[in-house]
Amino acid sequence: MTSTIIATEPAVDITKQSRARLAHRAGKFWRAGGPAVIFVAMFLVVAILTPAFLGGGGFTIVASSAAPILLVALGQALVLNIGSIDLSNASITLLGAILLALTLGPLGAVSPLVVLLMVTLFGAVNGVIVAFAQVPSFALTLGTFGIFQAAALVVSGATTVYVSQNAGLITPLYTSAVAGIPLTFVLGVVAAALAWFMLRFTRVGQGMTAIGKNESGAIFSAVRTRKLKIVAYSLSGFMAGLAGITIIAQAGSASSTGLGSDLLLPGIAAAIFGGTSISGGVTNPLNVIFGALTVALVPIATAVIGIAAQAQNLVYGIIIILIVALTLTRSRNAIIK
Amino acid sequence: MTNHTVETATPTIRLVDVHKSFGSLTAVKAISLEIHRGEVVGLIGENGAGKSTLIKILTGIYQPDGGTIEVNGSEVKFRTPRDSVGAGIGVVHQEQSLFTNLTVAENIAMSNSSGSGTATRFGFLRWSNLYKSAEETLAIIGSKLNPKTRVGDLSFVDRQMVEIARAIRVRTSEGASPLVILDEPTSLLERGETQILEREIRKLKSFGSVIFVSHRLGEIMRICDRVIVMRNGEKVADRATSEVTEDELFKLMVGRESHSVVREHGALDRAETPALEVRSLSRKGHFSDLSLSVHPGRVTAILGTSGSGREEFCRAIFGAEKFDSGSLHINGVAAKNWRIHKAVKHGVAYVPSERKVEGMVGGFSAAENLTLVHPGTAAFGPFLRPWAQNKIAQGWFDTLDVRPNNVNQELDRFSGGNQQKVVLAKWLSNPNLRVLVLDHPLRGLDPGAAQTVNEQIKAACKNGTAVLLLADTLEEALEMGDDIVVMRDGVISGVYDVAIDDPSTLDLLEKMV
Repeated sequence: MTSTIIATEPAVDITKQSRARLAHRAGKFWRAGGPAVIFVAMFLVVAILTPAFLGGGGFTIVASSAAPILLVALGQALVLNIGSIDLSNASITLLGAILLALTLGPLGAVSPLVVLLMVTLFGAVNGVIVAFAQVPSFALTLGTFGIFQAAALVVSGATTVYVSQNAGLITPLYTSAVAGIPLTFVLGVVAAALAWFMLRFTRVGQGMTAIGKNESGAIFSAVRTRKLKIVAYSLSGFMAGLAGITIIAQAGSASSTGLGSDLLLPGIAAAIFGGTSISGGVTNPLNVIFGALTVALVPIATAVIGIAAQAQNLVYGIIIILIVALTLTRSRNAIIK
Repeated sequence: MTNHTVETATPTIRLVDVHKSFGSLTAVKAISLEIHRGEVVGLIGENGAGKSTLIKILTGIYQPDGGTIEVNGSEVKFRTPRDSVGAGIGVVHQEQSLFTNLTVAENIAMSNSSGSGTATRFGFLRWSNLYKSAEETLAIIGSKLNPKTRVGDLSFVDRQMVEIARAIRVRTSEGASPLVILDEPTSLLERGETQILEREIRKLKSFGSVIFVSHRLGEIMRICDRVIVMRNGEKVADRATSEVTEDELFKLMVGRESHSVVREHGALDRAETPALEVRSLSRKGHFSDLSLSVHPGRVTAILGTSGSGREEFCRAIFGAEKFDSGSLHINGVAAKNWRIHKAVKHGVAYVPSERKVEGMVGGFSAAENLTLVHPGTAAFGPFLRPWAQNKIAQGWFDTLDVRPNNVNQELDRFSGGNQQKVVLAKWLSNPNLRVLVLDHPLRGLDPGAAQTVNEQIKAACKNGTAVLLLADTLEEALEMGDDIVVMRDGVISGVYDVAIDDPSTLDLLEKMV
């Protein structure tokens, strides 16, 4: 009896081993490349169904509409990575855009710097309250979302604010392109690369991820969790401000209901499509690039393919669910809330 | 002992060539064993030896890749935990799995899938029957617990009684005898409670059989009739406890001799600045007027029961909890506005008892965990050097024999003993380590890992680190400590220099309670 076992067991083991190893590798590949594969596949489907889409500068259109989504999503990914959420970042984008439209004339080139400083402070306020008052981030940023929105209404006088002078300082971001890719999107890619480097190769980034994975463990390892939470929220504010700049570059004006007023949910969706875990500790900013492109492509694609306007939201919803199912980072035995 | 085996010719449970592997890892290799009615069988082995996998096979959580399981002479296949419960196998887990907000009776009924369904009618609970049957079950193990009590209000050992009652809730009337698996039931129990549990186990022998998993070899020798030793997924021994010694068991388990080196006590130089000096430290409701000093190279073990305030005191030294008054000096420097990061900067380290929650970031690799606090060459200013991280971690892995030898594996996928080695190395890698606070460092560790950890603590002492140790047992305190401080109700009730006073365990116990 023993001899038969010895004879059969290794064979069973080898197939099992290789199968397990294959599954492991496939999982790894999908986590690394899944978001890119999904975007490319969807883009190809649209290009095949509607060849005119490619000829008409399809990718440029998608990239320029993805740029603000990407910037907002990067900030969101950094906050999700520490196990919190920032529901206020899209309203910071609008407030930043309005402030830029107001000040670009009188202040000129200094204006974007001032605005970026201010939005970073707005983010920091979120961070300070989350870190020290220990208010759940969902509730807190829901509140500051309303406050920033109200501020945007007041500052803009509830009308559209047009850039009076010096628009030429900003518009080239939208109008110029490198190899057909608008500079606004290039800005997003650079920001993503820097965020990736920070998370991968700096102690600050490592500490942030540690908070998201296990906050108590991070505290007991002397990680400055409060400081890092403030940093994460400040970066979210900063990225939201960059998104505001891309809006001014594109529209030359800003209003509390205009372009960019609906960035919150696309931003969250793009972060998740990019493999960011909602429960914290897992994100890859480079994949968020593809997440943002995908989120930008879906509504454009439904229009280009010629789906009836009434059905576009339906298709959008279905595709969102499918992509989340495909890209959501799941850990073993984890309960997805 | 032999008369039990004569009593029933067919064993309660028989395993033949059961094996199970996960991917490339073979967790259980061709295990065969028999357990008869009335037997208490110890199951021992290092963390990762395959005990847990074997138990999960017996309880239907895992399905074996091959081999057969027989219950009372007939072959069975457990597809789900329900099948196993139906066959009369109950398990009491290390981490209790009771519903603390439900009553005793509800908890016992929760596992009731074996068809004696008088507790429900048309899917609704029948409370009177529920209470009655719970009382009957409790009576079998001689417990007088009120079935209407909320489990959350019970003491730890009473909860264990509920777990046992739940485990034996099977159809004893139909001739089947229950098998109760106790998975490290004593690791969290105090001494007196352990005795109660031992008594219960003897009662279980009269109508069923028991598999008793423990890391404490002394307990195994006392309680069990027979002991099965596992190593690397294999059964390496199956002996009657009367025919084997503790040292032999250790050797069988770990594969090397037990060398319990008696620590030579560090010479005390009172002129030297103490590494840790505490003067009348108080925190309202937790501890008051605590004064002690620990010199470099010395170990002070603090003893006390769970309400003695010793945990809070240790956490206050690390800056993890506050203190109201008194002062704290590290190497002669007064601690002001004490927080964790300041404590760490001054060379204080803390190994918490809640390893998984506080001791580590489970989702990080072992290498990342190891270099999280004191990166050394793994950081260049604010930047990380992952390759240096791996090199440092590999050095510790080799020193501490961490298995599996893969520094890039996530830390929560290692076994408890190997995790603890990494947690300890995280602090030991600080070249300026002054004060090492250890909160139950051996909790849940197998003897081999425990020995490695103790050796490292001793080595740190040799290098001039002062150690504050919250020991699990009096024996551990006596083995490791130069000084022993006993705490009771937040104040110090006794201080002993082990080399001079040579306190007995009885002396220490008296001061504790």
